[in-house]
Amino acid sequence: MLELRHLSRRYGGVVALDDLSFNVEAGQMLGFVGPNGAGKTTTMRIALGLLAPDAGEVRWRGEAVAAATRRRFGYMPEERGLYPKMRVRDQLVYLARLHGLAAGAAAAAADRLTEQLGIADRAGDRVEQLSLGNQQRVQLAAALVHDPELLVLDEPFSGLDPVGVDVLAGVLGERAAGGVPVVFSSHQLDLVERLCESVAIINRGQLVAAGRVDDLRTASRGRVVRVQVTGAGGGWPSAVSGVTSVQRDDDSWLVGLAPDADDQRLLDAARTAGAVTHFSAERPTLTELFREVVAGRVDEEPAAAPVAEAVGR
Amino acid sequence: MLLVARREIVERARDRSVLISTGIVLVMIALFTLGPRLLGLGGPDDYTVGTVGAGSEALAGAVAERAPAADAEVTLEGLADDEAARAAVRDGDVDVAILDGERLLVDSELPGGLEALLQESSAQLRVSERLTEAGVPAQDVGAVLAPEPLAVEALNPPEDRGDRDAASGLAFFTVFILYGQLFGYGMWVAMGVVEEKSTRVVEVLLATISPTHLLAGKVIGIGLLGLAQLTLIATLGVGIVLLTGATQLPPSAPAAIATALGWYVLGYAFYACAFAMCGALVSRQEELQNAITPLTLSIFASLFLAFVALSAPGGMVAQIASFVPPVAPMVMPVRVTLGEVAAWEVAASVAVMLASIGGMVLLAGRVYQGAILRTGARVKIRDALRAR
Repeated sequence: MLELRHLSRRYGGVVALDDLSFNVEAGQMLGFVGPNGAGKTTTMRIALGLLAPDAGEVRWRGEAVAAATRRRFGYMPEERGLYPKMRVRDQLVYLARLHGLAAGAAAAAADRLTEQLGIADRAGDRVEQLSLGNQQRVQLAAALVHDPELLVLDEPFSGLDPVGVDVLAGVLGERAAGGVPVVFSSHQLDLVERLCESVAIINRGQLVAAGRVDDLRTASRGRVVRVQVTGAGGGWPSAVSGVTSVQRDDDSWLVGLAPDADDQRLLDAARTAGAVTHFSAERPTLTELFREVVAGRVDEEPAAAPVAEAVGR
Repeated sequence: MLLVARREIVERARDRSVLISTGIVLVMIALFTLGPRLLGLGGPDDYTVGTVGAGSEALAGAVAERAPAADAEVTLEGLADDEAARAAVRDGDVDVAILDGERLLVDSELPGGLEALLQESSAQLRVSERLTEAGVPAQDVGAVLAPEPLAVEALNPPEDRGDRDAASGLAFFTVFILYGQLFGYGMWVAMGVVEEKSTRVVEVLLATISPTHLLAGKVIGIGLLGLAQLTLIATLGVGIVLLTGATQLPPSAPAAIATALGWYVLGYAFYACAFAMCGALVSRQEELQNAITPLTLSIFASLFLAFVALSAPGGMVAQIASFVPPVAPMVMPVRVTLGEVAAWEVAASVAVMLASIGGMVLLAGRVYQGAILRTGARVKIRDALRAR
């Protein structure tokens, strides 16, 4: 299990991480999301020991991470991460050996992975001669070649075609099923929602939400109920106590309820207003959740930027 | 670290450019040593002189006798008569025909060397005839015409002129090759660093080894390849010179070559670290030229100062330059090759160089660690030093 504990890091005067903590369990696939500049890459670099945190620590299986342990981690940086002029197989063997494998084991691992990812016939070519899709497969092979105990991937899905996404998702799922904690960052939230049971959402260097996607969706912003009523007039939900918002689209209403409101009262009101054909608790998608927590935090910040702009003019 | 060094050597040695550049340098050595002879310069001049009539033979004989002293070879060819002489001259079979010991027949004009040879021989022949007529005994004529030269006693005898020229030639080549090696291999280090940074390979590598080891492995790997190439060039270059016998090697050659190799190691260590540091500051190959400008200028200044040292190895400029770390690696080999340097100077220069290499390693290591993960705009050295 990977534990990130109270990580803080600044670059000059810029705070990149501010007391960030979350865990990745064995066999868990965790989606790591946040707007650009939120500190995702910094967090990953600290987890891999590329950067030292100003405060806080990274623990692996209950212990502080030593260099020898770190060599058993697998990392795929954003875009490339390969020598363009080096041959595919040589490159994989080299990386495997840097991760501590003996020459023979490294060669065997490289051959096995190129076979598994369908690039065995290109193993003797230079990386730059391969198509983009194949380059991404080599990149994946490079992250997996030493059979890592932990996988950290920075934007692994960006730029992949749907087939590539499926291949990568399959391989990552396989590793997670084998007990390896997998963390990846992504902006494709529908993909994260589909692949990951859990997410960690960060904004401005702070964790704003973390946990199982289902729990987060249920727990968010009170509740929203979708009601379809035929033959009802316009303002019927507003009479119900605890209603916080109403959106109407023909016969369909999206009604926001305060956490302590009684949804049965809403149903009663709907039945009085017309014939109810649909009544369900509406959970936000991850994308909506993301917008909510991230935008919420942004709104809380003092609105300094627009004012400064106005003064500037 | 060994793995990194090994990769650098294997990947780059596979690249044909190493072989090609070695080949080019060797061809240049061959051209430089053999060239003058191929162009007809330097070696003895070959002349064919035709003779018509018995009166020409004494002159022809005198010419042939004087020829070796004038660095020329003369072949004599007897011709039947004036007509045959005209035909031979017109066809270029002979360079000149002597007609009855009185007149010279040429196609257009006499080659300068040959003209002097003929006129002097003729003059001497006439003088010796007069001397004989005046009653000087035949055995004394030679002594009169060519008296013993004055004996010269030198307080500081110069070296053999041939050795001196050969040493200069060797020093010239040493400078030229060192310039190429320092610049070429330094550039490789810088480009390698930028390649790793721009492709983010460095992030994968640094997850497994420390920046210091990565940098050291790269610098050492590329440096060993450079040293191997230099040794190959030196061996084959000396081989070419010895085999062809075109130019003589100065007696100081083995020491000079060993010195040059040693200074390559020192100079490379200094510049490779500096190049790596500059490479770490930028994120794209296009920005590299700008970042390494100070180093390019420094190496160019070294080349210039090395040529100054070549013409005045004991001069003030050369002496001062020997103690300026960035230029010493190219100036010192020149001075050592030309033998114009005291042992203490070499020792002091090496000591200064080692100290500055130590400083450069520390500086470059810090900057490299501080800058290598910062992609985007060019990193300032000060910011890189401040980063942890």
